[in-house]
This record gives sequence, structure tokens and C-alpha cells, in this order.
Amino acid sequence: MIHVLKKELSELYNKQMLIGLAVSFVLIIALGVLMTGVISSDMLGGGVVHIVDNDKTGFTQQVQAQLQEWGYTVDTADSPEAGFTEKDWADATVLPAGMTALLDAHQPCQIECVEVLRSTSAFSSAGNADVVQAAIRELLTKEYLQGDLAFLDAPAELIPYTYANGKTVQAERSAILSSVSLFDRLLPLALFLLVVLTAQTIITAIATEKTDKTLEALLTSPVSRSSIIAAKMLAALLVSLTYAAVYALGFVAAMLLTVSGQNTEDLEIGTALADMASVRQAVLELGIDIPVLGWVGVLAQLALTLGIALTASVILGGLTEDAKSAQTASMPILLCTMFPYMLSMVSDIRSMDGVGQWVLYAIPFTHTFVATEAMHFHDYGLFWGGLVYQAVFLGVLVLAALKLYNSDVLFTGGALRRKQEKV
Amino acid sequence: MENTLEIQGLSKSYGKKQAVREVSFCIAPGEIFGLMGMNGAGKTTLLRMLATLLKPDSGDAYIAGNSIVQAPEKVRACISYLPDEAGAYRSMTGRKYLAFFAGLWTKEESEQKICVQRGEEICGLGDDLDRKIRTYSRGMIRKLSLARAVMCKPKLAILDEPTSGLDVLNSLDIRQTIRRCAEEFGTAFLLSSHHLHELETTAHRGAILKDGCLLAEGTPAALREQFGAETLEEAFERAVRNT
Repeated sequence: MIHVLKKELSELYNKQMLIGLAVSFVLIIALGVLMTGVISSDMLGGGVVHIVDNDKTGFTQQVQAQLQEWGYTVDTADSPEAGFTEKDWADATVLPAGMTALLDAHQPCQIECVEVLRSTSAFSSAGNADVVQAAIRELLTKEYLQGDLAFLDAPAELIPYTYANGKTVQAERSAILSSVSLFDRLLPLALFLLVVLTAQTIITAIATEKTDKTLEALLTSPVSRSSIIAAKMLAALLVSLTYAAVYALGFVAAMLLTVSGQNTEDLEIGTALADMASVRQAVLELGIDIPVLGWVGVLAQLALTLGIALTASVILGGLTEDAKSAQTASMPILLCTMFPYMLSMVSDIRSMDGVGQWVLYAIPFTHTFVATEAMHFHDYGLFWGGLVYQAVFLGVLVLAALKLYNSDVLFTGGALRRKQEKV
Repeated sequence: MENTLEIQGLSKSYGKKQAVREVSFCIAPGEIFGLMGMNGAGKTTLLRMLATLLKPDSGDAYIAGNSIVQAPEKVRACISYLPDEAGAYRSMTGRKYLAFFAGLWTKEESEQKICVQRGEEICGLGDDLDRKIRTYSRGMIRKLSLARAVMCKPKLAILDEPTSGLDVLNSLDIRQTIRRCAEEFGTAFLLSSHHLHELETTAHRGAILKDGCLLAEGTPAALREQFGAETLEEAFERAVRNT
């Protein structure tokens, strides 16, 4: 088997693959750098407030000073159009003439917020008019509520609690979620990439061997067919792991780049660590933490899913007529991975009702996508049931693969359909 | 001497299409046996059954005493198969390709080296063996594939149209290699071809297949005599048209 494995690896790890991988890595990093710019300058406004001051009074100057005190950079122009064309603004907040006079007369004023529509992108700018509004309120509060009346700003304090696994602890739900969900989010992505890449790699490899008729030479050599299948599966797994590792590293690096691009100057490390410790304590109290045995189970689910994807790919590759149809042949695996992956990202599969849920549970990959969720929320029946189901599914597929590679179907699968097949 | 190959009433069908019907014949060690037949006569199906790629519906064949039905693993240890228009691993060099298949035949490194050396000598590609196979011409790939098929001295080499699509000189080289290996190694050859002149000059014996049935079998001279023909081509035409 080792001999065949070496050959498979030398076939798969070629110069083109390594160049493609390196290019992908660089592209992902570049995407991260690009996203940093997009998020900081477009989504978050980059801390810049674009002001068109048509009132030009002491009060409007105070508003701008207040914004700068809050850490915003104030950029001004004579008109919104001038800002858009000369300074490439994406939005403008217009302080209208007579605004101060209206406020002095205790009349509400209107602030115009102009946003540029340059594309239909969902990441288009949302503007910073709300902070201007907040600055005006702050200044008026200071002016009219002089004295120690700060409590009026927040007359009632909210104390967040979270309930899970039959327990309630004092902690914000979002803080707990972000502390436990990093791996929960990375695992489905890595799994999705692994399954899809593995399927395409192995199906294309087998289909190419069929087209070149090298498979016939290989299968008539004095090596057991189970060794040949195992070598192909292992080689595809190693290649896919390489791809997934590089992609995952790229995504993590891109994510770190994106995060590091945000304004973290005000972050106090001591406070942050203390917050993390309290959230960690809350996680432990709620029992959301996954124990070591649980992680072993999650990894077992992951291994089983990969085994299923590999074996199914070997079968589909064997049934594929030629390299051209390899892409189409991988569609069933792609769809069976994509549906649970997408649904697990946008909803809780475990709380779905009816036939839809059972259809999803019939797809073995679903159980790995919900594995960490099931562990976090003590849904052990679903977790261990899914593990057993995947193990049985894999066993059946392995038997089917062995039967296929010892049967005529491997070479006659297309014969009955194709008139030109040699007899 | 025990026959290298003994076929006993092999049959195979694809659905309603009967591809091979109760075919029987034998091949002795070192003998070159040619299969003749029109397209769709059942040649490739017969060769694939003997190579253990397809299972016969009925009948059996014994290669070096091993049944293709009962002991396909043992059969694979004493045959080599060269499919029609077979390619090779394009990312490998010719030398690595030979080394890979030698490694499948034996775990002993010294034996592997001997096999590879023999393969290098048989294919005659010289320094081109260090080039990637993707740069090879069709003739070079065919010579390399044939060398791969015979370098480990199998008892039976099954070659499906070994000179298909090759020019005159390359075809000549392939035929000479087959004859030499049959003589030197005692390897029996079963080959199919549409070039009847090729079979006439290369094969010791041959058989004519039509619609999966064996119409005639014998030496080229015996086949010519049986159909009152001057050439094997003429004998083939009469056999196929008149039955």
C-alpha cells in the first residue's frame, strides 16, 4: 500500500498544485487586507465624520469639538457634492443654516444625512450622522441640565443574565457566545473545505486514471484492490488536509489582519483579561464547556465524516466515465455538505421541526456540523446517535466500494449506455 | 509442457448483448497467439476477462494453473495487461514509471532494479527515460508501456491492439520486442490486432472471433489452408463473410 500511496502523492503533490496553493494563500491574505480597508473605511467610517457646516456658529464648532473629543476625526467641506467629488466621501452630514437659532428657541432642528449610492454592495456606508446627533444631545444636556444630573443619562442599569442547560448565570449572552463559538465556527468551515476538496481530488484522480486506462494496468497488477483503494483515499486525505490547513491558516491570518485594523487604542488589557476570566467562569457554570471526552467524540465525528466523504468519492470516481464528468460526479457530495453547512450557519438545526430535520439528519455530514452544538447543550442522544449512524454509514460505504472495485461495473458502468463501447 | 493459458467455454454478456460465447483455446509458454475480429467481435471483453477486470458469466480460464474465477489474485501475480491506447502517469519520468510497476511486482529492491534495468533495455528510450511522460510521443508511450508489461517476465502478457495508431517503424519495434521477449523469457503473449499482416508475421497461432464466437483457430498457415486463401487477411475475410 505504501508503494501505491507514494505514487498517488507524487501525482497529487505536483508543481501546479503547490503554486495554486501558494497563490490561494496570498489571495486570502490579500482579501483580509482588503477587507480591513473596506470595514474600517466603509462600514465603520474609519472614525471620520464628514461635516458640511452651513450654520457656522459657535455651537456648531462645539459640536465638531465634541466629536473630536470622542475620538472622531472631523472632515469638512463646503457642500456634500464637493465632499463626494473632491474628497471621495461616501456620506455627508449637513448642519443646516439656522440650526443654532432653532435650538436656542427650544425648537427641534433637522440634520441632513446624505449617502452616496455607488454600488449595490451590502457593505455600503451607513454614515455617521447618529454620532453628530449624539454630540448635539450631549452639548444640550450639559447646557440645560447643569449640575450633578448625570444619572439622567442612565437612570436604570441593565444587568445581563444568561440561561442555558437549566442554569442561570450573570453574564452577557453575546460574550459567552463569542468565547465558545470560535472553534464552533471554524470547524464547519474546515469540514466543508475538507469534504469538498477531498471529493474533487479523489474523483478527478480516479476518473483521469480511467480515461488514461492506467487504472486497468494498476488493477491487474499483483496488489490487493483494498490496498489500492486505501492508498488513493489516504493520499486524497493528505492532500485535502494540506489544502484545508493552508486555507484555514490564510483565513485566520486574514481575520487577525482585519481585527488588528480596528481601533484598539482604548482597550485596556487588564480589564479585558478580567472580563475574559468572568465569562470563562460563566461558561463553566452553565456547563457549556466541552469536556475532553466530548472533544474526542467531536474528532471521531470529524474522522467519520472524512471517511464517508473519501469512500463515497472512491465510489463516485469509479462510476465516473471520464475526467470531464468528474466535476458533475462530485455534486452529490458537495450538496450533501453544503445544505447542512449553510443551515448550521444561519439557524439551529436541532430546533427545526418536521420532515426537514429528519432529511438533514439522514445526511451523515449533518451530525458533525451539529456535534459541538449538541455537546455544548448536552444533547447527548443526538451526538452519540449521530456518531453511531456515521459509523454504520461508513461501514456500508466501505463494503460497497470493495464490491464495486471487484465487480464489472467499474469498467462496464458506461458500456450499456454507450453504443461505441468496445466489445 | 503445461499450457500457460487454458480457456474453457468462457461466456460474457452485457444485458441482452452476448459479447463472448463459449470460447475455448490454449496457449503454450513462449507462444504468441493473435486474436482477430471485427469491431465488437468480443476481443476486448475476452482479454479483460482473462486480465480479471471482468467476471465471466460462465466457463473459466486457467493461467499458469490458476483459475480467473476462483483465484484472481494469483492470476494477477503471473499476468500483465496492456489495454488498447493505454496512457501512463504523465507527471512521472519514464524511469520512475518503470520503477513504480516493478515495485508492485516485487518487494525485493534488488529484483526491482533488475526489472527496471530490463524495462529500460526493452523500451530503448535511453536518456528520454529521465523526461516526464507528458512530453512523450504516442510511440514512446507504447514502447514504455510494453516494457512495463514484460519487464517482470510474466507468464502471460495480454496486449490489446499493441500497435494501434503507431507508425510503421514503431510498430516494427513493438513486434520485434514481443518476439524477443517470448523467446528469451518464455512469456506467452495473447494479443488482439486489426493488422492481420502483423499477426501473420508475429503470431505462432491465432483465432478468428465473430459475434463472440470462435470461428477458427490455428497457425497462420493452417488458417490460410482452412479457408483456401493466400494471405491471412483473405482467410479472415472469407471466415467472417461466409459464416
